[in-house]
Amino acid sequence: MTLTLILEQIFNGLQAGVTLFLVAAGLTLILGIMDFVFLAHGAQVMIGAYAAAAITQATGNFFIGLGLAIPITFASGYLLELLIIRHLYRRDHMEQVLATFGLILFFNEAIRVGFGPAALYSDLPPALSGFVEILPDTPYPAYRLGVIAVGLICALAIHLFVSKTRIGAMVRAGANNPEMTAALGINIKILFRLIFATGACLAGIAGMMLGPLTSVQPGMGEPLLILSLVVIIIGGIGSVRGAFIAAIIVGLVDTLGRVFLPSILRLFFEQATADGAGPALASMLVYILMAVVLIFRPTGLFPAKG
Amino acid sequence: MTGLFHFANLVRAGIRDNALLWMLIAGFALFPIFTHFADLPFWNDVAMRIMLLGMAAMGLNLVLGYGGMVSFGHAAFIGIGAYCVGISQFFGMTNGLFHMFLSIGVCGALGLVIGYLALRTTGIYFIMITLAFAQMLFFLFVSLEQFGGDDGMSIDRADFLVIDLYEPLRLYFLIWVALALVALGLMFIVRSRFGVTLRAIKSNESRVEAMGLVPLHFKITSYVISAVICGLAGTLFASWQEYVSPDIMHWTRSGEIMIIIILGGLGTLAGPLLGAIVFLLLEEFLPLALGAVAPAYAENWMILFGPLLIMVVLFGRGGLIGLLDKAGFARIGKRKMAVK
Repeated sequence: MTLTLILEQIFNGLQAGVTLFLVAAGLTLILGIMDFVFLAHGAQVMIGAYAAAAITQATGNFFIGLGLAIPITFASGYLLELLIIRHLYRRDHMEQVLATFGLILFFNEAIRVGFGPAALYSDLPPALSGFVEILPDTPYPAYRLGVIAVGLICALAIHLFVSKTRIGAMVRAGANNPEMTAALGINIKILFRLIFATGACLAGIAGMMLGPLTSVQPGMGEPLLILSLVVIIIGGIGSVRGAFIAAIIVGLVDTLGRVFLPSILRLFFEQATADGAGPALASMLVYILMAVVLIFRPTGLFPAKG
Repeated sequence: MTGLFHFANLVRAGIRDNALLWMLIAGFALFPIFTHFADLPFWNDVAMRIMLLGMAAMGLNLVLGYGGMVSFGHAAFIGIGAYCVGISQFFGMTNGLFHMFLSIGVCGALGLVIGYLALRTTGIYFIMITLAFAQMLFFLFVSLEQFGGDDGMSIDRADFLVIDLYEPLRLYFLIWVALALVALGLMFIVRSRFGVTLRAIKSNESRVEAMGLVPLHFKITSYVISAVICGLAGTLFASWQEYVSPDIMHWTRSGEIMIIIILGGLGTLAGPLLGAIVFLLLEEFLPLALGAVAPAYAENWMILFGPLLIMVVLFGRGGLIGLLDKAGFARIGKRKMAVK
């Protein structure tokens, strides 16, 4: 019984981890390569979720929803970069915080005007709403398993893209030293725009997959944004590999901490103390982890800039 | 010689900044007379909120504007200050002065710890670690069920010996006195050797280090001072709102204070207060303006406010003070803008 629970929670943690990775992968490059503090990345998650949910409701087919939402998120990222973001690269961090904060307010409110303040719910397709036995007598929702698979496939694709292709080499060079990369004749403006749009698209995919698991509502991306910032800091800004490892760690620590920390505390303290401190400590756990990492490795575990 | 000229320039610029600051503060002292005769008592409430957020923004500005450290977690100190009142009352301590000293002590200690840890990093890492500490405290208070958790706790206005804060305008002038004291303190800090060193660190840290000073000490000290000012604003905020919940330290509030500073003018004394006035007036009037044009969407005023912020960043460098400069009404911002 306990083993089943632990296994199930590990899978939940993995699922949270790969979702976080999808949000963090683009953001770590935006922060690392463009040195741009982009707080509105959570809005991309929301746009993806809304696009998928709305199209699914209109067409009645979950997969059409996903298929159409992916280009929509890519286009929204591309346009956002073209219209606003590219004017902000040379500004200092504080102004970037302010401008992207304005973007968050705008997107949340625009969604509220367009779709109403209430949450959208999208049903799972019948093919994915069943359970899979990951071990004998240990059923696990097929959809969550699918999310893990999609996340891992995306991670592998990003890894191959960044480490094996020519554009990937440009991206790595850009993360290491943007000025030098531009001096070598690489069109850094186009590179930035494509990275930005791809990042938005990945965050959108995370949102689409989260749609059926959580409620699709204005501001839904912000908790994910904050957690993915934690992931990026732990992994080292600009490092996709670091983001992947840190995302899995954060996903597992957060999920397992919330479930098991109260009972672990009960072993050492009285019931009342443990029940009071458990949830508090569990929700602070990832931030404590980040603070500890920063104290010992002030540039994260896998810093990209050398 | 140029150094001397620069110094003279600095003093002159400082005086102008101070003049604007004290004009605004004097305006707040006279404002209740206006609301009394115009019969608009609601606006006293708005003015109190402006003064409180302005005070917090002035505190953060010491770190952000003068020290160049982008702290994205100062709402946590406002929240801690407010919870100092709530938790003391929970245990039966109703004395307002006690709340203030407690808040100063707790926020100072917390500012020292967070500042010491966070200032090991710079740039984006610093922004993020300050955000992380604020989130940590936010979730701590969300899960503290005995103090209301998510729902928060209601608070009585603090008890200040002879002053009954439930009498009209008593709270208003308590906040006003606190604001004036904070402004006075900051004015001396900014002009002092400490303040000049802090600005020097912002423009070139290694040079300050080469002069034999330890930049970290100055940075941590300024971080603690700003934490204490935000905590003080928080304790008064609790009395004003008569309620405290973790919402007070939500990360969007840290963004809000930052917006106020940048809107007003970074690294100036009057800027944060001016920014608070404009920010809260926008919050009051944008819904009305939007409601007049499209009544169904009056609640969605953020849809205008968001793009407005982006416009301020894209086109209005130097904030409102910068605009006053360009229009020839003040001579404050130019020197600051030249530093960057």
